[in-house]
Amino acid sequence: MNIKLVLKLVGRVLLLEAAALVLPLAVALLYREDLLPFLLSIAIVAAVGLALSALPARQQFFTREGFVAVGLIWIFTGLVGALPFLFSGWFATPMDAIFESCSGFTTTGSTILTDIEALPKGILFWRAFTHWLGGMGVLVLATAIVPKLGIRSHYLTQAETPGPVFSKLVPKQSQTSKILYTMYFALTTLEVLCLKIAGMPLYDSFIHAFSTAGTGGFSNRNASVGAYNSVPIDVVITIFMLLFSINFAVYFLILTRKWRDALASDELKFFLGVVAGATAILTVSNLGVYAGLWESLRYTVFQVASIISTTGFGTADFVLWPQFSQMIIVLLMFCGASAGSTGGGMKCSRVLILLRSIRREVHRITHPRSVEVVKLDGKLVSEATLHTLLVFLGAYVITVFAAALVISLDGQSFAVSFSAALTCVSNVGPGLEAIGPSGNFAAFSGLSKGVMSLCMIVGRLEIFPILVLLSPSTWRRT
Amino acid sequence: MDIVIVGSGKVGFSLAEQLVKEEHNVTVVDSDEEALRRAGDQLDIMTVRGNGVSAATLREAGVDRADLLVAATNADEVNMVCCLTAKDLGAKYTIARIRNPEYTSSVGELRRNLKIDMAINPENTTAVEISRLLRFPSAANIETFCRGKVELMGFRLQEGDFLVDAPLHALPDKVKKLSLLFCAVERGGEVSIPNGSFVPKAGDKLYMVGRPDSLDQFFRQLGRYAPKVKQVFLVGGGKVSMYLAAILDHLGIRLKIIEHNEERCRVISERFPRVTVICGDGTDSELLESENLTASDAFVALTDRDEDNLIISLYAMQQGIKKVITKCNRQNYAGIVRSLGLDSVISPKFVTASNIVHVVRGLQNSQGSVMNSLHRIAGGGAEAMEFTVGPGTRHLSVPLKDLKLRPGVLLAVIVRDNNIIIPQGSSSLQEGDRVIIIARGGGVLDLNDIYGAEPNLGGAGA
Repeated sequence: MNIKLVLKLVGRVLLLEAAALVLPLAVALLYREDLLPFLLSIAIVAAVGLALSALPARQQFFTREGFVAVGLIWIFTGLVGALPFLFSGWFATPMDAIFESCSGFTTTGSTILTDIEALPKGILFWRAFTHWLGGMGVLVLATAIVPKLGIRSHYLTQAETPGPVFSKLVPKQSQTSKILYTMYFALTTLEVLCLKIAGMPLYDSFIHAFSTAGTGGFSNRNASVGAYNSVPIDVVITIFMLLFSINFAVYFLILTRKWRDALASDELKFFLGVVAGATAILTVSNLGVYAGLWESLRYTVFQVASIISTTGFGTADFVLWPQFSQMIIVLLMFCGASAGSTGGGMKCSRVLILLRSIRREVHRITHPRSVEVVKLDGKLVSEATLHTLLVFLGAYVITVFAAALVISLDGQSFAVSFSAALTCVSNVGPGLEAIGPSGNFAAFSGLSKGVMSLCMIVGRLEIFPILVLLSPSTWRRT
Repeated sequence: MDIVIVGSGKVGFSLAEQLVKEEHNVTVVDSDEEALRRAGDQLDIMTVRGNGVSAATLREAGVDRADLLVAATNADEVNMVCCLTAKDLGAKYTIARIRNPEYTSSVGELRRNLKIDMAINPENTTAVEISRLLRFPSAANIETFCRGKVELMGFRLQEGDFLVDAPLHALPDKVKKLSLLFCAVERGGEVSIPNGSFVPKAGDKLYMVGRPDSLDQFFRQLGRYAPKVKQVFLVGGGKVSMYLAAILDHLGIRLKIIEHNEERCRVISERFPRVTVICGDGTDSELLESENLTASDAFVALTDRDEDNLIISLYAMQQGIKKVITKCNRQNYAGIVRSLGLDSVISPKFVTASNIVHVVRGLQNSQGSVMNSLHRIAGGGAEAMEFTVGPGTRHLSVPLKDLKLRPGVLLAVIVRDNNIIIPQGSSSLQEGDRVIIIARGGGVLDLNDIYGAEPNLGGAGA
């Protein structure tokens, strides 16, 4: 294990994050707020970053180093993000600050804050900005703007970009990262404009655009998006939540005018199908809660988009919905967004491949000698990919249950413990009952918050980097 | 440049590796997922799974926008079809690996009909490289042009050489008669292009370009030529051996080939009646001794197995043979091999890949006009380029004495219908010629760039 090179890499990313902290500093300056939390954080992060990136290191970098680097960078990032929260004095314990920061960078959007509106604007800006940085990924950003970050940088971005198979848009990784961030930046800017036009104040537009782009879910209002009670705002955010949960490769295909390839994506069709189906079922199921079809549709479609994209904004409290509706919400949390998007969950392509493998297995039982392959987008899914995918899904479910087990020590109901674990691993945000859209995570113990913070990172990095980091065999010399 | 490589085998991978180092955008196509994964893990490239002859696969790999497609699968026919399809889809330049000797004779027509811009034969390329090493045991910096018809090489002048302290125009007639030209000189880190009044000094590094046999002659006159290799001992009778035998046989070098396959031995003997063909195990030291290995001037190990080649080369070296050349495809252990004393280790895939890289550098420089290759010489202080004269080239058929070339640019060699012409004042360019241009500091991107601002004024020939 070439730990020096890994730490050097961590150092470089920390320097980048120190630079990112200048933005909320500027916001705090603009609103004449306390600058100290940001100045202190920048000083600490930059100092640690400089010290680490000055380490002398051999240039040996293999898969193992790549996974460890990704895991360490994300854990460090979670700590870095917590510094301004901690120094601001609005968070009771360091664990609370870390929870909020992890929830931000992993684009989960769960909060321990009870009165969000009381916080300074600079802190709330940083809180939303962590969503934006974490959505497309800090390492993708690093490969885009730091030249020659390290050899084989695709190991890093591969681990950070969600999905069963990682494919570049163009041959060079740095170029791929640049294209991704350019599209990300353009879509975010577009959303800020649309929200402003829909009647949201400019500052709020930025906060909500960052949250939507990263599919995070932090709002600067206690009642989330519901606080505006405006149909145009709901519509804009719904559309953008769905846009950000589509594989960015689709947008690249559209930009390069390969319309047919873009629309032929199986995952895209599946994703849109699930959204349409879930909306239809829930609208009918929620008719009892709302006055009429139109109102039911308005709140349902927003909530479906919010949950499947793993954003977690709320305009309605789905905890008050019928049990059947809540069960569908839980299923959507499992499913999640598309591969290669900023969303979390198991990812639609994985669910789709899983369903197809199940069909093949059933077919194989009735015709024992049959040979059948699983395809996605008309292309063969290799048995090796299939194997990794099934192991991933197994590990995903085990992680959720293991986390729920620890959280249950707090003595909350099954629905709360389980949904807390699921919402963290899937990076959604709200859970059921007490931690629903109108609740928060403040009541949990420090242990539970620590486990949930780790779960968010585990979910964001799709499990294996953290497992590699924690595995003794990674650190053994031989 | 956007480059698509079809086939992630030995040559494909090695090529991708070198091209990525030169900052090109490389996409590799292969039907074997495992080979693609390996390449994608190690190099910063994009990989596309599929068959290289399928237009859909090629389009997915972005061939329509590619500056270059290299077809390097192990099937010649696939490579040819691949190049044809790629050209139709819009690839600007195509290179196919065509290695079957049956195609060699008709490669010109194949290239024309299938729109292949360049055909490369790894075995033949390797054989040419080996023959060069055999001819110049001590020469460094040899570059070849026009498929080995023209060579460029550099050597350092020593005190007492007849060139020292005499201007170039006063060279003895026996040198002037040779088909070669002094094209660049490196003195104290400065690179210049010498004219007739240039006076070489000891310690200068002189570069000359010309016909391979003229270069041979020159070194002999200089007294710097190592004893000529007369008898070469060759183990292994594969494709490389066949090509090498053809070259050496032509040069009048006696050859002894050991090959264990009797059928193969017959084929070699049929093609090269003057060559002694021995059927037996080339790794058997007793056989080597009984065939009087020590009487040979040079030993070349060309069996299929790297390990065998290394072992028998060490044996030959121990037996006191001065020139030992080893074929070894694995590059990773080059350092170890060199520390054992084997300094002439040739890797066919590396040689082939390097050749293609030279072409790529040429393509990168030429914006539209046909630059065939580019070599950096004199520590990067000058560039040697090979161009094909096209209809768009200016001043065709105008005698060179009526043209003014840009300062620092030299028209060194004209190759017309396999003849090598060292340009005189009366020479002129014709369409279809291949020319070698030496430019100090580079900057020549097109053949028309060699002309100075005011043509038809001065009388600067070569």
